[in-house]
Amino acid sequence: MTRLIDLRLGLFLAALFAVTVLAPLATTLPSTSALNLPSYLIPLMGKYLCYALLAVALDLCWGYAGILSLGHGAFFALGGYAMGMHLMREIGARGVYANPELPDFMVFLGWTELPWFWYGFDMFWFAAVMALLVPGLLAFVFGWFAFRSRVSGVYLSIITQALTFALLLAFFRNDMGFGGNNGLTDFRDVLGFSLSAPSTRIALFVLTAVALAGCMLLARAITISKAGKVLVAVRDAESRTRFLGYRVESYSVFVFTVSAMMAGLAGALYVPQVGIINPGEFAPANSIEIVVWVALGGRGTLVGAAIGALVVVALKSWLTATFPDLWLFALGGLFILVTLALPNGLLGLLDRLKPRQAKPAAEVPA
Amino acid sequence: MPFRPLTLIAAFCLAVVLPFLASAQTLEDLIARLPDGNFNDRAAIVAQIAETGDPRAAQVLDALLEGELEQRSADGRFVRVTGSRNNQTATDVLTGEDLGPVARRSTEAVRVNNALRRSIRTALGVLTLMDPDPARRLAAAEAALRSPSPDQVEALAEAMAAEANATIRIAQTRAHAAAVLASDLPLQAKLDAVAVIGEANAQVVQQTLNAYRNAAEPELAAAVGAALAEAESRQRMWSQAQNLWFGLSLGSVLLLAAIGLAITFGVMGVINLAHGELVMLGAYTTYTVQQIIRTNAPEYFGYSLAIAIPLAFLLVGAVGVLIERGIVRHLYGRPLETLLGTWGVSLILQQAVRSIYGPTNREVGTPDWMSGAWQIGELTLTGPRIAIVIFSLAVFFGLLLLMKYSAFGLQMRAVTQNRPMAANLGIRTGYVDALTFGLGAGIAGLAGVALSQIDNVSPNLGQGYIIDSFLVVVFGGVGNLWGTFAAALSLGVANKFLEPWAGAVLGKIVILVFIILFIQKRPRGLFPQRGRAAEG
Amino acid sequence: MSTALIGAPLNAAQLYLDGVCRSFDGFKAINGLSLAVAKGELRAVIGPNGAGKTTMMDIITGKTRPDEGKVIWNGDTDLTKIDEAGVARLGIGRKFQKPTVFETHSVEDNIRLALKAPRGVFPVLFDRRSAEENRRVTEYLDRIRLTHLRAETAANLSHGQKQWLEIGMLLAQEPQLLLVDEPAAGMTDAETMETAELLKSIAGERTVIVVEHDMDFVRALNCRVTVLHQGSVLAEGSLDHVSARDDVIEVYLGR
Repeated sequence: MTRLIDLRLGLFLAALFAVTVLAPLATTLPSTSALNLPSYLIPLMGKYLCYALLAVALDLCWGYAGILSLGHGAFFALGGYAMGMHLMREIGARGVYANPELPDFMVFLGWTELPWFWYGFDMFWFAAVMALLVPGLLAFVFGWFAFRSRVSGVYLSIITQALTFALLLAFFRNDMGFGGNNGLTDFRDVLGFSLSAPSTRIALFVLTAVALAGCMLLARAITISKAGKVLVAVRDAESRTRFLGYRVESYSVFVFTVSAMMAGLAGALYVPQVGIINPGEFAPANSIEIVVWVALGGRGTLVGAAIGALVVVALKSWLTATFPDLWLFALGGLFILVTLALPNGLLGLLDRLKPRQAKPAAEVPA
Repeated sequence: MPFRPLTLIAAFCLAVVLPFLASAQTLEDLIARLPDGNFNDRAAIVAQIAETGDPRAAQVLDALLEGELEQRSADGRFVRVTGSRNNQTATDVLTGEDLGPVARRSTEAVRVNNALRRSIRTALGVLTLMDPDPARRLAAAEAALRSPSPDQVEALAEAMAAEANATIRIAQTRAHAAAVLASDLPLQAKLDAVAVIGEANAQVVQQTLNAYRNAAEPELAAAVGAALAEAESRQRMWSQAQNLWFGLSLGSVLLLAAIGLAITFGVMGVINLAHGELVMLGAYTTYTVQQIIRTNAPEYFGYSLAIAIPLAFLLVGAVGVLIERGIVRHLYGRPLETLLGTWGVSLILQQAVRSIYGPTNREVGTPDWMSGAWQIGELTLTGPRIAIVIFSLAVFFGLLLLMKYSAFGLQMRAVTQNRPMAANLGIRTGYVDALTFGLGAGIAGLAGVALSQIDNVSPNLGQGYIIDSFLVVVFGGVGNLWGTFAAALSLGVANKFLEPWAGAVLGKIVILVFIILFIQKRPRGLFPQRGRAAEG
Repeated sequence: MSTALIGAPLNAAQLYLDGVCRSFDGFKAINGLSLAVAKGELRAVIGPNGAGKTTMMDIITGKTRPDEGKVIWNGDTDLTKIDEAGVARLGIGRKFQKPTVFETHSVEDNIRLALKAPRGVFPVLFDRRSAEENRRVTEYLDRIRLTHLRAETAANLSHGQKQWLEIGMLLAQEPQLLLVDEPAAGMTDAETMETAELLKSIAGERTVIVVEHDMDFVRALNCRVTVLHQGSVLAEGSLDHVSARDDVIEVYLGR
């Protein structure tokens, strides 16, 4: 019987819990203390956790169902835009043009009324639902067409990449009504709480940690269920699965949609903490970068995906700040390294290191 | 036409005064009289200056037109003053002698107003219409057509009669017709003029005739309307031809970019995401070759592309062989891993080029023999575009021949169809793989040379083509070079026909969405590889 | 799954192929093939390479669509309109020539996934393992003698064990019709005979169509034989009957 929380996941969740409790506490320490955590680091940590969630989402469909999506950045960005639209509306009359109805960029473009697709985004719950629904619906429709036509493997990867590229071009257009090149920014508050207040930041950080833990448990529950076994079966021997009577496309659409919704959730949590969402998030390169997080951590492990994201993003933050020229070399090298030398990622490496009969070794949580 | 009293008065003065003045007046005398009198008097003198036929007349009038003709207070000498307020220098307007800096208040300008400027332009027009240099005569006739003036009817008629060059005479005839329309000549003359203008290209017809659409005489208005309508339909037809040409041109660019992929992806089944960067390397090879020629032997610049083409093929091909031996070789049968590994290569190549050449666009020159443009009807074909269409066709057919008739092509097909059997027959499959990948990369390098002629050469060059190229290959049907050919050209043409009504970006999105849907409908592309094996 | 078609008006055949044609790039893999198999029958299909045996299976199971013709199941369902999963759900199981099992799953999970049960996403997602299910898994594992390897990853099985596991999965589906493609390939003589016994024991209760090359194996099955040649039926009858025919000998030995 497979347990929902195995040792790895347990350790990871415990570490996550510890960080979630300790980090906010550390910000309250006096700034002279060695353990003091500057409060501006909280949104940064929140951002990292959003990326970890995004990686878990991709691992669910790539690691378990073999669907290598090169367009998960698009679902992330769509979730982010849904939340950004709400935050835009919440600015209200405090914008530069003091228009209570229209966001600044619309006034700037000379628009006189709100486009229909902005209706409802003044309500938080609506935006929250849309952040899940829009990516989910896109994934469902796209997946339904693709999987029903038996588009799989690299073909699927290429058309998901084309999908995010098309969205990138679309969102760059001013007349799409999403702020064009500049995207959505200058947010003030969420649900009446100022986004720059330390308490709001901590609340968002904790919320992100909870979402990450929740999604990991959900993903784990799906993968250890019989449906999860069917997904792996599809990955390993698709036609055998079909001849057993499983409609492969339904399973693929299901997991693709769930995964896209998780990505959308990650995007929705990302935007208030980072303070901006722009079309750059749709860049195909971003989506491929997610893949290396998962590949580095170890695909098909969930915990590995989250750890991979944290490691790579931390590496990126450090390198782009200290040796900006080296970052792409490092990232490129990482891609080559994981494909040639680490097919099972860091967790796979750990598994190989541990003696065969010994108890499962504990991986080091990030 | 707008009523221009001053012009009319100037013309009137000209008519009245001229007969009484001795035509023997010298340029010097006339200039000396310029500062006197009012603007109308000056207009008359301007006309007389033009009449002298003195070769220096043009430069005097030009200086006057620009407001730079001034008289030195000290000696009354006429000078052309140029430069900024505090740093003015003077040259003698007649001899062109450099008189050095001048103090601000030591000269007095000959004032001009707008009406006078108009007279000056007319006079200059007359002057240049008869210029001995044919290029200037043509320019003058075209200028007269652009801003027709009734004053030039006579001058243009005279110029036409004297003109020996057919092209210039046509331009003058049209300018004359335009001037006739602007004048108050009788209706019949104007109707003839409309007929003359109607033969010009659509843009000229619209520019010249639009003002007379609602002419007072109904007959004239009708003739103008008919000529305009005819021009419009002609333009519509030509714009279709234009779209087709642009489409073919874009299509051949896509073909060039995709054809290397068609080999690595289509023939070997390897997803090479670094393909775009290989194209970029080809472009930078061209840039480097040109830099070396520019600094060492600028006289051979015309040969820069001829050197860059084989060099880019070999250099980028070698990079391809390295990638295959170093990475891709270990990943056969694992297409998703290949995709990720080559993406890593692409990032490294991009950053390497950025570190060496910098992140900004690099200027790649076009040799003289390739620049220039050809006019077919209303269609303009530019040199680099024509060259790329021809080049991509040459590369495509060259590759086709190589695949079909060379020993290497035979081995390549053998290996892709049945690897173990090929190995048993003594073909060194590893060697063939490396060369095949190198061939695909080399062709990417060739594409880079071509793209450097029409696109910005920057480290991001490849990124712009990689997705398009993949879609072309997949759309055409993997493993089928003719499919790639058809897909590239049809996508190029479709793109350009969509642009006018959807806009460039939206047109591209429409194409992307179309291909995404198409692949889902027919996952094996336009021309699928057939046979039972492909059913799998 | 309804089996209440006894006395079906059209014909008594459970599976009825009528004038099926399919060509690949001009080559006619199946050319006017007609075949009827009665419920509970054990049928061997033989024929030289390229006779169209595998394509016939592909057409029955919905993997390949025929250009012409019908495949009637239980007298009323045209299988050519249904996809693989749909055909499988009707009760048609297939074993591939090359053993195909889920390599990263345990032996037990392989059987569990094959067990007859609802196949939709949500029932499967919320499926909870029951004692009854465990009992059935054990039953099939016993039958294919892999009980001791229950927790082993399928990738670690030998070739023959994988063959058996796949047969076990086929049985766990509880199909009405089993399509078995060259089950004896790669088996020892003893295993081959054992397989023949197993298939004979299944027949009667279920319909079994076996595609085979190995004449000893076909002889051991002791059943009606259909000879395919160039995509259509050349001869049908007992093995002795068909192997006595000149045209069959010609096809097998003549080239």
